[in-house]
Amino acid sequence: MDETALIHSAQNGDLDSFNTLILHYQDSVFHTALRIIGDEDLAQDAAQEAFISAFRSISSFRGGSFKAWLMRMVTNACYDEFRRQKRRPTTPLEPDTADGEEIDSPRWLADPNMTPAERSEAVELEHAIQHCLDALPTEFRTVVVLADIQGMDYSEVAAASHVPLGTIKSRLARARLRLRECLRGFEELLPSSFRLQEEGNS
Amino acid sequence: MKNFRDIEQLSAYLDGQLSPSDSARLESRISADPELASALSDLRAARNILRKLPARKAPRNFTLTRKMVGLKPPLPSTFSFFRFSTAFATFLLMLTFAANVLIPRISFGAGAPMMAQEALGIGGGSGGGCDPCLPAAPAATEAPVAEALVATEAPALAPSADMNIAPTATAPIATEDTARVAETPIVETPSAKDAANAPELQGQPEVSTTREAVIPLSWQITLLVIVLLSALIMFGVRQSAIRKWK
Repeated sequence: MDETALIHSAQNGDLDSFNTLILHYQDSVFHTALRIIGDEDLAQDAAQEAFISAFRSISSFRGGSFKAWLMRMVTNACYDEFRRQKRRPTTPLEPDTADGEEIDSPRWLADPNMTPAERSEAVELEHAIQHCLDALPTEFRTVVVLADIQGMDYSEVAAASHVPLGTIKSRLARARLRLRECLRGFEELLPSSFRLQEEGNS
Repeated sequence: MKNFRDIEQLSAYLDGQLSPSDSARLESRISADPELASALSDLRAARNILRKLPARKAPRNFTLTRKMVGLKPPLPSTFSFFRFSTAFATFLLMLTFAANVLIPRISFGAGAPMMAQEALGIGGGSGGGCDPCLPAAPAATEAPVAEALVATEAPALAPSADMNIAPTATAPIATEDTARVAETPIVETPSAKDAANAPELQGQPEVSTTREAVIPLSWQITLLVIVLLSALIMFGVRQSAIRKWK
């Protein structure tokens, strides 16, 4: 995929080129939105809004990391979603069974290649991590999602978050510290592989 | 628990964001300080857990449609040309209608009071106090009734028409204004009919019995055709562009 050519075409109004870029980045965009917002449906909305905003303002893209630029759109869309939530608070709906009980392993988490035990571990881990992420202030959460989950470097995170590099360093350190503290409360919930790895590291 | 400056340094060290000299200094401190080493281990563990988090795939495609982004088909430059010509021709057409309705009213509006006086028989031969007309009045009074009537009518119309023509408005040189006056009910009075029979007036061109339009009808028809054609072409160009775009 020639990203530069696709961006150039999209800047000239070629929607098909932009859709090719979307197909390439949609997983990471959705994943970022999901980790920042913590809700599947809202994350979908935010991802869609981010792509629409990105297409409308692609003429303002002046080179550099396209992923970082796109992540900026996602974080903005997530912040917009938070503002909407504040204006119109809603009760999150967990997927329920016919009996009205919460489903432990929703359909979208199912991975056909995983054993039931692995699946259970993954779900537990995901729940624990998302819980701790949700406990972070939004600006800390954004930084840690971009740096540690998306694997972006500091300059890209700074570009995506629109904050100075020094602030990124500081926020990331604080966020990691708080996450570690939070995850200590889920020691027994964390899958054994993680606990072993943790022990190995320490 | 180390101070936050140390934590920040350790976090940046984990990500390889420290300069080589800072890294070397921190490494020597870590090896000498178990608390610092433990803090680094905690940060690394937190980072590793986040990195191990399974990436979630998008549950659906987020590709955009033209409707979603409000894209409109690119229209050729000819569309703009025909749109302008349609609008301009429509404007001109409206203008011609307005001119045909308003201009005659303005002209006749000025002459109306005098003609009303004529109808009531109170106009007199001097023509309603129009000073430039006064020299013509005596001649008019000596002339037959018809001549006098026409002579008095001419000054009355003079303010709305050309002032230079009005004073010489004796019967033999009756102007177009006098001809227009003939259209009005006032000139249908018996004295006007007598005037029509006067020998001086017999040589004059025949007076039109209908009000003459300021803008000819042919112009209006031409403009209407231009409006319709331009609109039709504009519509065709747009439909063609939309078809190509789809």
